[in-house]
Amino acid sequence: MNADIVETVNVAREIAWLPWAVQYFFLIGLSYGAFLVSLPGLVFRRAGWEGISRLALLAALVCGLTAPVALLADLHQPARFWHFYAYFTPTSWMSWGAFFIPVYLTGLILYAWLAYRPLLARHADEGGRLAGLARRIAYGGHESRNALVAAALLAFVGAALVALYTGVEVMLVRARPLWHTPLLPVQFFVTALAGGLGLTLLFNRGLPGGGEPGATRRMATALAATQFVALVVGGLWLALGLSGVSPTHAQALAEVAPSANWQVSAVWAVAATVVTLLLAWKRPASGLLIGLLALHSAWMMRWTIFIGGQEVPKTGAGYYSYQLPLGPEGLMGIVGTVGLWIFLFVVLTTLLPLDRLGKAGA
Amino acid sequence: MMYPKPPALSESRRAFLRGIPVLTAAAAIAPAPALAADGKHHWAMLVDTRKCIGCQACTVSCIQENAVPEGSFRTVVSTYSVKLTDADQPAGTYMLPRLCNHCDAPPCVPVCPVGATFKREDGIVVVDGDRCVGCAYCVQACPYDARFINHETNKADKCTFCAHRVDAGLLPACVETCVGGARIFGDLNDPDGELRRRLDAAKAEVKVLKPEQGTEPRVFYIGLDERFQGKVEGQGTLWQPRKRHG
Repeated sequence: MNADIVETVNVAREIAWLPWAVQYFFLIGLSYGAFLVSLPGLVFRRAGWEGISRLALLAALVCGLTAPVALLADLHQPARFWHFYAYFTPTSWMSWGAFFIPVYLTGLILYAWLAYRPLLARHADEGGRLAGLARRIAYGGHESRNALVAAALLAFVGAALVALYTGVEVMLVRARPLWHTPLLPVQFFVTALAGGLGLTLLFNRGLPGGGEPGATRRMATALAATQFVALVVGGLWLALGLSGVSPTHAQALAEVAPSANWQVSAVWAVAATVVTLLLAWKRPASGLLIGLLALHSAWMMRWTIFIGGQEVPKTGAGYYSYQLPLGPEGLMGIVGTVGLWIFLFVVLTTLLPLDRLGKAGA
Repeated sequence: MMYPKPPALSESRRAFLRGIPVLTAAAAIAPAPALAADGKHHWAMLVDTRKCIGCQACTVSCIQENAVPEGSFRTVVSTYSVKLTDADQPAGTYMLPRLCNHCDAPPCVPVCPVGATFKREDGIVVVDGDRCVGCAYCVQACPYDARFINHETNKADKCTFCAHRVDAGLLPACVETCVGGARIFGDLNDPDGELRRRLDAAKAEVKVLKPEQGTEPRVFYIGLDERFQGKVEGQGTLWQPRKRHG
C-alpha cells in the first residue's frame, strides 16, 4: 500500500452477486461433481461402486434441484427469468447457461428415474413409506439399460456444459484480475468434484454401520487425488503471480496479498486441503471428517472468490467491507437454500431410503 | 436640492426587462451548444482535472436529475490526499471525477444475458429497464465500478450521459453544474465543436482510465496523474454510503 495517498472521498460499491450466487455455484458444483461419481457404478458397472454411485446420484439430484432456486433468487428481478429464453444473447455465457441448466437437469432427472425405478418398485412392494407414490413413480419398475445410458449421456453433456459455463462466465470478467484466470474453471471443477465426493461420503456414513469400508476407501482415494490436483493448481496460480510471467495473476496477487483477511483465507484454504489430502490418503476410513472437510473447502473457495473478490475495488483504494446481512439477501438466503435442500433430501429419502440405495449390488 | 434622474439606468433597466421574453424564447428554441450541426453524433466527455475543485456539484446534480437512490452514485468526484515532497505544504488534494466511460468496446454489453444493455448509435451506453433482469453481470464486467444495482428499481443502473437531456438538446446535468468548467461534453464527430477542439489542442495530454483494458473509453481526461489511472494504490476511504440492500 502506498502510504502517500489517502482516499478521502469515494463510493463504496455494494456486493452485487449475493450469497445466493455462492450457494448456486456451490450446489450446482456439488451436483455435477456427484453426478460424475454416479457414473462408475451405474453406467460403467464397476465392481464395488454400485452403492456409492446410487448415493452419489441422490446427492446430484438433491443439489441439482436446489441450485436453480438459489440462482433465480440472486436475480434482482426473479420474475423476469423468462427473459433469458425470450432474449437469447449468444455473446453472453450467462445466456448460454440458461439453456445448459435445463439440459443438465432434464438428463439428470431422467437418468435418476431410470436408475431408481427398480428400487422404487421394490420399495413399494415391500410396503415402504409412501408406497403408493413410489409405485406410481416406478411406473412398472423396469430396468431399461439403453435408456439409462442415453439419459446419462444427456446428463453428462449437460454437466460438462454447466461446468464449462460456470467457470468461463466468471473467468471472462477481465475487470476482476482475481477472477480473470484460466485456472479458475479448473479450480471450480476440482473443488466441485471433491465436494460431490464429500457429500457422497456423508451419505455413505449415514448408512447402517457407517457404510461399507471398501466404498469409503475408494472414495477417500479419489478425494485425495482431487486435493492433490487442487494443491498443484493453487501452486501454479501462485507461481504465475509471484514470477510475474502473467500480468493478470501478478495483479490479482498484488490486490489481495496486503490484506490480512486474504492472508488468513489463503492459509486456511491450503491447510484444509493439505489436511484433507493427508487424512484421505493415510486414514481413508475417516469418511465423515474428510467428507465434511471437502464440502467446507468447496464452499469456502466459492465464498472467497465471489464475496471476497467483490470486496476488491476496481478503481478505488483499499477494500470494501462486507458484513453478511441477516435478511434474505444474506444469511436467510443461505439458510433458505439449506432448508430447501433438507426438504428435498427428506422427500427423496422417504421414497428411496439411504440404506436401500447404499446396498452393494442391490 | 435636485438630483438629476439617471436616465441611462432606467433605460437600461427597461431594455433589460424588455429583453427577458426574447431571452427566454431564445433559450427555448435555440439549438443546444452540445449538438453537432449535421451528421451522426458520437457523444463523449472531456474532464479537465486541473479545473475540478472537488465541490461535488456534479454528484448532487446527477442525483437530483436522475433520482439516484440514497447511497448510490452515477458520478462522484473521487478525492485523494496526496503527500507532497516538492512543496512547503505536506499534502495536496487530487480530484478525479468518475462516471460511466461510455466505452466504444464496452465490456458490460456482451455479457448481458438478455441484451438489455447496449450502445446507442450516438455512442451512449444505456440499460433497457424493461428488459434488465438485475443479474448484475454487467456490474461485475465494468472495470470502472461505474455500474450498480438500483435498489428502488432492482435493475442495473449507471450514468447515461443524461441521454434524456441530450436527446432534448441539453447538456448532461453534471456538465451544466460544473463550477470549474472541468467537464466538457460534446460530439466527437463535430470538428468545430468545443470538445473536438479541446481534445485536438491537448492531444498529448489526453488520457483515459485503464487503457490496458482495451475498452476505448469515451470519457477523456486532461491532467490525469498516472497514479490514479488504474486501481489506486493507497489507503482506502473510511466513509461508506449507508448500507442498504433490498
